[in-house]
Amino acid sequence: MKPMPQIVGLALDDHLAKDISSAVGNAMHQTFNVEVLPGPYEIGDGMVSLVGDVSGVIGMVQNQLEGTLMLCLTFETIRELLPQVVGKSISITHEMAVDAVGEITNMIFGQIKANLGQRGHQLKLGIPCVVTGKGHFVSQFHRGRYMIVPFHLDGQLFQVYVALHTDKVKAR
Amino acid sequence: MSQLANLKILIADDHFLIRQFVRNALQESKVTNVQTAADGNEAIDLVQKAHDAGQPYDVVFLDWNMPTISGLEVLSYFRAKNEYTNTAFVMLTAESEQQNIMKAIKAGATSYIIKPVSPTDLNKKLFEIYEWIKRKRQSGQALHG
Repeated sequence: MKPMPQIVGLALDDHLAKDISSAVGNAMHQTFNVEVLPGPYEIGDGMVSLVGDVSGVIGMVQNQLEGTLMLCLTFETIRELLPQVVGKSISITHEMAVDAVGEITNMIFGQIKANLGQRGHQLKLGIPCVVTGKGHFVSQFHRGRYMIVPFHLDGQLFQVYVALHTDKVKAR
Repeated sequence: MSQLANLKILIADDHFLIRQFVRNALQESKVTNVQTAADGNEAIDLVQKAHDAGQPYDVVFLDWNMPTISGLEVLSYFRAKNEYTNTAFVMLTAESEQQNIMKAIKAGATSYIIKPVSPTDLNKKLFEIYEWIKRKRQSGQALHG
């Protein structure tokens, strides 16, 4: 019989960065047939601002933990991705970009949730929402720590941001 | 997989990206008789109209979370009607929790596919679904013959 995984608080660590990288890489490869390269992750605390054009945001909870998951992309990155599905002759509209980021957010964080579930972290995700606006800032105000994992796609950069707040979080 | 080419398929998903992605993927199996619905209501309308016109869908892909009526509700609605037993209702969703998968299977889902999925894997699943449809129709003919 397979031993039950030991459940400890979710940590902003190598395991989480690996889960994020695998979920992002998988979603991008399966859906758009592109390879994305994760960069070294960054850990910090307090307020942070990400700059993007379209961001997908989902809240998450796990017992005493609260958190936010965010995927932040520029229109340039979306213009690299979408033609792989809709065709190169179609011009990418704002509505298409919002639709796509909403669904990519869903797929990526759904998969991160499944990966974390396999490690014993049963998370509940909120309803995803998409924020748009050329060069908008996404600012997070909280008392916990955050992790930012950058991804590179043919010279374009996009980021996944995870913020956690709990007394039990083992952030490094 | 050319025997799949004659399948009539409906893709119900509120996201344009997925409707287009699945349509592209199905073209690899030469499936071209494909319609789409952007929510659960539209899916119910299209499935019923196609059935009433004597040209029912063979396969209906359903997203779980859609506006108006969820994919699970669409599935339960049709599984409560005898005339749709030969139609394959397939959940195609990012919902990966085991309890949701069980809920959909109990409600009568023919298959459950978790997004993201590659075009190759989607077509492999479609072949399994095609085999299910064939078995269903053969057992139906045996009963009536």
